[in-house]
Amino acid sequence: MINSLLNPYYLQIGMFVLINAILGISIYLTLATGQLSLGNAGFMSIGAYSSALLTIKLGLPVYLAIPTGGMASVLIALIIGFPALRLNGLYLAIATLGFGEVVRVIFLNLKITNGALGISGIPSLNVLTGNVLSTLGFADGFAGISLQQISNCAVLLILLVILVLLLFFTRRLGFSRVGRAFAAIKADETAAQAMGINTTYFKILAFILGAFIAGVAGGLSAHLTFYIGPKDFDYHRTVEILIFAVFGGSNLVWGPILGALLLTLLPEFLRAASDYRMMIYGAILVAMMAFRPLGLISEETVRFWRTKLGRRSSE
Amino acid sequence: MKLFSEGHFLKGVAVIALSGMLLSVAGCGKTSSPTATEPAANQEAKIGVISFLSGGGAAYGEAIKQGLDMAKEELNAKNKIKINLLYEDSRGEKTDAINAANKLVNKDSVVGIIGPTLSGEMFAVGPIVNGAGVPIMGTSTTAEGITDIGEFVFRNALPESVAIPSAVKKAVDKYKLKTVALMYSNNNDFAVSGYKTFEKAVKDSGLQIVATETFADKDTDFSAQLTKIASLKPDAVMVSSLYQEAALVLKKARELGIKVPFVGGNGFNSPQLMKIAGTAAEGALVASPWFPAKDDANVKKFVEAYKAKYNKVPDQFAAQAYDALYIMSAALDKSGSATDRKKLRDSLAGIKDFQGVTGKFAFDAQRNPVMEATVLLVKDGQFTEFK
Repeated sequence: MINSLLNPYYLQIGMFVLINAILGISIYLTLATGQLSLGNAGFMSIGAYSSALLTIKLGLPVYLAIPTGGMASVLIALIIGFPALRLNGLYLAIATLGFGEVVRVIFLNLKITNGALGISGIPSLNVLTGNVLSTLGFADGFAGISLQQISNCAVLLILLVILVLLLFFTRRLGFSRVGRAFAAIKADETAAQAMGINTTYFKILAFILGAFIAGVAGGLSAHLTFYIGPKDFDYHRTVEILIFAVFGGSNLVWGPILGALLLTLLPEFLRAASDYRMMIYGAILVAMMAFRPLGLISEETVRFWRTKLGRRSSE
Repeated sequence: MKLFSEGHFLKGVAVIALSGMLLSVAGCGKTSSPTATEPAANQEAKIGVISFLSGGGAAYGEAIKQGLDMAKEELNAKNKIKINLLYEDSRGEKTDAINAANKLVNKDSVVGIIGPTLSGEMFAVGPIVNGAGVPIMGTSTTAEGITDIGEFVFRNALPESVAIPSAVKKAVDKYKLKTVALMYSNNNDFAVSGYKTFEKAVKDSGLQIVATETFADKDTDFSAQLTKIASLKPDAVMVSSLYQEAALVLKKARELGIKVPFVGGNGFNSPQLMKIAGTAAEGALVASPWFPAKDDANVKKFVEAYKAKYNKVPDQFAAQAYDALYIMSAALDKSGSATDRKKLRDSLAGIKDFQGVTGKFAFDAQRNPVMEATVLLVKDGQFTEFK
């Protein structure tokens, strides 16, 4: 039981779940202001490429390179945020989707990003933590498990800590003045403006926070997969991230996280179905949307379970 | 309205953190060694296959699967070490390929892996599999630098750095070329890598490049690029792309009256090229390790058996996959173990004078194939040897 849990296969899936959950939070933040921004894959690629290039070309340590990648995303988000957020609804969605494609095509044509060939040999978090652990005296493993497994566990833990911090931050934000402004804009932008809320400021803020988190997630994924290419960040990726939020429910931050968890695990569970794998995956998506159009978790769900479990609502 | 109180949130966090800790503490058990030796009689070797079985490139993955299945049937009918192939789909996605590789290595405990289909996937999967000490052999990964990943990474796909220069050289000798135009798909890693090889080969032959034009995968209109090339009147055009675009480029070029020879990268090396381009494909040149009409007993036997089973002529992907499994099997026999990964790697590295359907084969010190490429010319809707 314990042995099988430690299988690097499961640990790797766990890492992808956590990365996807972080991406889920990034799209949740813009959705919290009612803005449908589909630039996440673009911001992710900026973070991933910046971080990969900084470590490879400049030898910057990974723990500095990943946040720097996030900041690079923020910079771009600032530049495109002002014109883009003048748009609403579907127009914003299309503009940001276009932005993502522009970023991808730029990376495809730049010399430094090695075009369509992508960047290979990116320093891996697993290997780096492995090196740190072996200097700490774990070179031969610990209590019968290999160094590789310990370092995988360590990376998983690091990702978990990042996710928990982000969750904590997002939850705190929700109860702050900023969070209430987000909710007001989501409910009715005109009314919010009439109440004296600087809607542009808060929309840009949400956009930038989302971009930063997506950039960090991109950096983390680059350092987990050894290789990045422009193909990894096309609009399929954006749609995938959006589905986490839609599937899990976009009103609560737990929604995208649950969506990321289930939708990352599902294709792996379905490996047994071989040829029918993607068919079943699609069918499950369709069925879910038919029965729970608002996603798995909504305020309703929370209320329902709270009554069912006999707890008193904390309203 | 408050949905969760702060206390609940913290509790939730605590539960998640706790389960995370448990997971990592759980890690402190021991894992069973995947390389335990089994009794010698009736050994079964588990070989994992990571292939592009669904999505845009599924045609390649399917051909690879058919080639492997055929080789497996033949081998299991006569060899002592039986082969069990475990297929995993990568959908052409890097993360899926990584998950597939981890599953094969850690859960299914395979002795070796064949695949993945794309070079980009190999760059992501290779370091993981290499780190785990499992031999992996790409059958279609032609990009530069694949085997630099590590000493467990092999390929039997003829790198374009061997195929393209031989095609260019033959064309230069035969047609006395002076000027050429280059075209490639700039959003496909395989095509860009091929273009770089073309550029180098062309420069090495002392030719003048009059134009370099790019397009993208799935493009259907090439008139702008080809009109420009037509006006420059090069002696030949070299194209690096997949067969879909290559065929359409040929069609449009002939329409615009460009009658010069076309030299292609590996994308030209598909019967689909003639199917789509029709007579426009006449005069196209490509270097390939695989030539289905070759006058060779092995090749004839393979082509006939494949035709009987799948009702079509095997393409290069099928042929290379077929050879790959034979090479794996030969290495397994030589190592004498169906489960020892290190032994398999060492005996793979020692493979030489292997006679497969793609010709005589050996691994060099860098675990790249040493093999001969045949330059093929499209003539009367057929690939024929170009002499």
